[in-house]
Amino acid sequence: MASASSTLDTMVLSIAQSLSAVERTFYKLPGSAIIERYVRSSHQNDPGRTFLELIIFFLVVRTLLQSRTRADRNNGKNFIEFTDKEIDELVEDWVPEPLSKPLDDVEAAELAAIPVVAGHNGPHPTLVNTGKPAINLASLNFTGLANNEHVKQRSLEAMRRYGVGSCGPTGFYGSFDAHLQCESDIAEFLDTEGAILYSQGFSTISSAIPAFCKRGDIIVADRAVTLAIQKGMEISRSTIRWYDHNDLHSLEEVLQSVEKERRKRKGPLTRRFIITEGIFERDGTMTDLPKLIELKQKYKYRLILDESFSFGTVGRTGRGLTELYNVKASKVDMLVGSCAIGLCASGGFCAGSRTVVEHQRINSPAYVFSASMPPLLAVSASEGINVLRDTPSLLTRLQENVRAARVLLDQVECISIPSHRASPIIHLYLRNTSMSSSKPSNPSSPIPRDAPVFDIEKEERLLQEVVEEAMAQGVMITKAKRARGLEITEAQPSIRLAMSSALSKADTEKAVHVLVKILKRKFR
Amino acid sequence: MPASSYPTSPMALNRGSSPTSSIFKKQKNSSSSPPTAASYLSALSQADARARNAQRGTPTSTPALSISSSLTSSTEDTVLAEEDTADSDGLAVPVGKPPNSEQLYTTVHTEFGHCYNEEYRNISQHPLGAPIVRHVDQEPPYYILFSTYISYLILIVLGHMRDFLGKRFHSYSYRHLMPHDGYAPLNSDFDSFYTRRLKQRMDECFLQPVTGVAGRTILLLDRYTPDYNHTQIMLETRTRALNISSYNYLGFAQARGGCADAVEEGMKRYGVTSCGSRLEGGSSDLHILAESVVAKFVGMEAAVISSMGFATNSTFIPALVSKGCLVISDELNHASIRFGVRNSGAHVRMFKHNDMKALESLLREVISQGQPKTHRPWKKILLIVEGMYSMEGTMVDLPTVLKLKEKYKFYLFVDEAHSIGAIGPHGRGVCDYFSVDPRKVDVLMGTFTKSFGASGGYISGNTALIDRLRIRGYSGAYSEAITPPVLTQIIASMASIMSIDASVGLAVSVNKLGLPSSSSSSSTIHQVTEYHHPGPISQRTLPHWLSLPPPLASGAEGLMRLRRLSFNSYYLHRGLDKLGFITYGHPSSPIVPLLIFNPAKMIMFHRMMKDRKTPIVIVVVAYPATPLVTSRVRFCVSASHTKEDIDSVLRACDEIGDVLDLKHGLSKGERWSVNEVCERAVELVHIPDNEH
Repeated sequence: MASASSTLDTMVLSIAQSLSAVERTFYKLPGSAIIERYVRSSHQNDPGRTFLELIIFFLVVRTLLQSRTRADRNNGKNFIEFTDKEIDELVEDWVPEPLSKPLDDVEAAELAAIPVVAGHNGPHPTLVNTGKPAINLASLNFTGLANNEHVKQRSLEAMRRYGVGSCGPTGFYGSFDAHLQCESDIAEFLDTEGAILYSQGFSTISSAIPAFCKRGDIIVADRAVTLAIQKGMEISRSTIRWYDHNDLHSLEEVLQSVEKERRKRKGPLTRRFIITEGIFERDGTMTDLPKLIELKQKYKYRLILDESFSFGTVGRTGRGLTELYNVKASKVDMLVGSCAIGLCASGGFCAGSRTVVEHQRINSPAYVFSASMPPLLAVSASEGINVLRDTPSLLTRLQENVRAARVLLDQVECISIPSHRASPIIHLYLRNTSMSSSKPSNPSSPIPRDAPVFDIEKEERLLQEVVEEAMAQGVMITKAKRARGLEITEAQPSIRLAMSSALSKADTEKAVHVLVKILKRKFR
Repeated sequence: MPASSYPTSPMALNRGSSPTSSIFKKQKNSSSSPPTAASYLSALSQADARARNAQRGTPTSTPALSISSSLTSSTEDTVLAEEDTADSDGLAVPVGKPPNSEQLYTTVHTEFGHCYNEEYRNISQHPLGAPIVRHVDQEPPYYILFSTYISYLILIVLGHMRDFLGKRFHSYSYRHLMPHDGYAPLNSDFDSFYTRRLKQRMDECFLQPVTGVAGRTILLLDRYTPDYNHTQIMLETRTRALNISSYNYLGFAQARGGCADAVEEGMKRYGVTSCGSRLEGGSSDLHILAESVVAKFVGMEAAVISSMGFATNSTFIPALVSKGCLVISDELNHASIRFGVRNSGAHVRMFKHNDMKALESLLREVISQGQPKTHRPWKKILLIVEGMYSMEGTMVDLPTVLKLKEKYKFYLFVDEAHSIGAIGPHGRGVCDYFSVDPRKVDVLMGTFTKSFGASGGYISGNTALIDRLRIRGYSGAYSEAITPPVLTQIIASMASIMSIDASVGLAVSVNKLGLPSSSSSSSTIHQVTEYHHPGPISQRTLPHWLSLPPPLASGAEGLMRLRRLSFNSYYLHRGLDKLGFITYGHPSSPIVPLLIFNPAKMIMFHRMMKDRKTPIVIVVVAYPATPLVTSRVRFCVSASHTKEDIDSVLRACDEIGDVLDLKHGLSKGERWSVNEVCERAVELVHIPDNEH
């Protein structure tokens, strides 16, 4: 008994000693006084408060330790406990929807009627659909580079030098001298500090936007931007404000309201972007760039301009909107263009300052996580730039064809043409009673106050009939194809004509004339 | 046993003597072509003579003289390769068993190594009925983990100190990180901290510009930095290095040979570009042909091709799932899958990498709970896994996933970006490897970058699904169609793996458009009934102008590529294991990650490999692509590597591993010496998976 109590005593003693040792070392630690003061002031002779603090501490630890993949089970109030047997029954009962709906007859017929070219695409391809040659007003070959023998020869030589694939992302031995050359050619052509090459046009802007815009940043965008931009903005998780399509007054109002909102909340300075297109993919309207630049500078926004349809198609030598309006390209912070559309190669680019370009090399998912484009296509893009620079006549011819087509189309009463007079893509709408809006729209909603009313199904059907009839008569045209249901707002159905300088004026007129006749007969 | 141990063969790299000015300004120089062709031919005949001496008794065929015609369009790159030929025997001329004349003529050794030893072959297949062993990551000793954390801590503390001081004393160079003129910084200093303070220190490992073909070897454009990686200055010299970094699994990155000739023909017939999107006038008959070839190759009803691998996931997944659907995704899935899933609006849950138990319990949870809050049942559940994981080299446990699929009724999407072409006895990816019918999987996605030397990607499935994707995926209506040269490369390389069955091809009349008579549009692709998966493809389903040389058309070369790739993968993987390194992943995967851990060792490893006598270029990957501590080197083995190439990689790793203290795998007693590994390579490769 005595021995037991003595061991107990020694134990108590040693515990007391070690405790005091801990206390001494604790006070020796730098900053221990702060912790002590904190504990004392929070305790305030009230064990309840200490208890509360402890609970908070453990909750923090628990949250930190929680598994990242099983969030619902642990903190969801909605979680219902089931027995294994119940789960088995639920699994048994669950009937999923089919992975995809089969195409209905209309969709299948439309898919079967898409123009397919046999062999080389160009101004006069042979169609698989009809087996006959046609005049091509559908394919994007604005300056005829697709049929340029010199470009083709250079690409062939490049193929014999590099092979086809680049076999790696740019970061890891996928950065060929051909890519670097193409990037510097684009930068030099546009007169920007640098450019970065992506391997697909669509992915360029939808990846460049989230590279710059993060949660909390503000994007002010046009209501009719193309799907690639919509998807990029969605990924970025930024706050989006919308302005009416191609209406810079509306833009200014939105910019003012954003500024007012920020002042009210006294929030920190965040990145702010205006995102719009040069020539809109949806309808071919054109942005008033000088006015846009003025607004952007006044309200201190950065401008992301998608020139996919204007680069290589407008301006004296095809430099795009900046050349057309004689604005320095360096005033556009991020100028996105497409080598596939403008240069008849593949891929896209984003030109801007050195900081802008280098930032994307590390932060843009489609650039970092994707193989670089085949070097032979980079060579063909470079050669395309050389051709554009040396032969301004290509652009003049293109504009002549655009004018010739517009003269004929403007006479047709049953259609309306939203596209700009200089735009090489011409959209044809079935004429609708248009409404003019008087009151401003809500900037937080992508839907304008007075949205145009149109019957998608009916118009699509009518236009498809026109397209098929034209193809039967040897004119290859297409509707503007849309992934219905996936865009933020639905675009009005349209026929989209793409002009080309590879066609003679006479051929262009002949083709448009055929179309005009069909339209007049159908919608008289 | 052929000569297999060639320690660091001496080789001259003529760093200064290469022609350098821009390739775009150069005219085809006719005066330089004939002597090079001649020197090339003489080198060939020498090698041929050696071959004949070595294989006395075996009849060798006479060299095909068509070589001169294919060399007329010679560019300066081949000149370079030939200069190497004259000077060295490391990268330009094969060592080991000499080739016979016929074989030498089909490939260029710097692009696709000559290796004619039939022992160096292996079949990539899961033995039927054998249990699937789950990969367990090996743990390094604690001092390595500790020193790794300490290294990062030092780097972070130093970085913050430099930021703190720099902003006060050298504010101009920090301007882009601070608000100025009323603009918020484009890149906040916090977001870019890792990039500026950690990644920039090792920038020499990234964005290395190259030229030529990214085949077995690659030509680096030399560069240096005068200011700690702020700027890189390009030098006029080039270095040829052994390339164990590019995704070139089957070695189809070639500028010469049957596929390249086919591409040339394709470019002449179809041009360089396709002018627009698939649905808006960018389609040609070649697209439809290529899609039917791809569908047959993977064993599905139909396929749709997109012009970019990343975009295949990011633009088609939103067409598969939407709000109210659930996507279950492996935690290590590729960024493109995440991008696509986020765009789709579907709910996402992740499960632990390749852990089938975790997957099953997650499935039980989500099906029983239904949608969050409302508890409504999910519209559908899509499980997205990768066939082979690009950073780990691990393979999905497909048989178990299929068993779960039967019970839990989810749809299965397998991303075969790295596995298609790379594994399986017929090269048809992970289904082939496990001998599973591909049609049990709902969606098979893959890319052409990795195994076929092309670019872009495909999605395959049943016809109804693919037709839906054609009109609903963003790629169809909005993005440019894939270009003809790339399509031709895809068709030629796939056909050569499948082998071409010419027996029926001659009887079929081809109409004047160059199309097999009936097919008229994408939705009604003519189904050739005589195709049995995985079997030869009939000549009539290929373009009529496509003529591959006999070794490619017969499938012999394709098979050789598959066997060589498998041998090389197993050899490198197990060789590194035996030397004592920690590697991840499945031995049949051509991706071989070697664990390095400490950040500073990455750059040293990279530099020491590159500065060797036979330079080797490697890829190092670190956070954020991998967890912070497990930085690694990622080797990408190719069929174009010879056994001797893998030997030299192993020798290099062995030497550097000793210097950098990287061997933390097998204990010292169990290790083999590098000579032993090289000598017993064949034995090493043929150890069954579950006994290793």
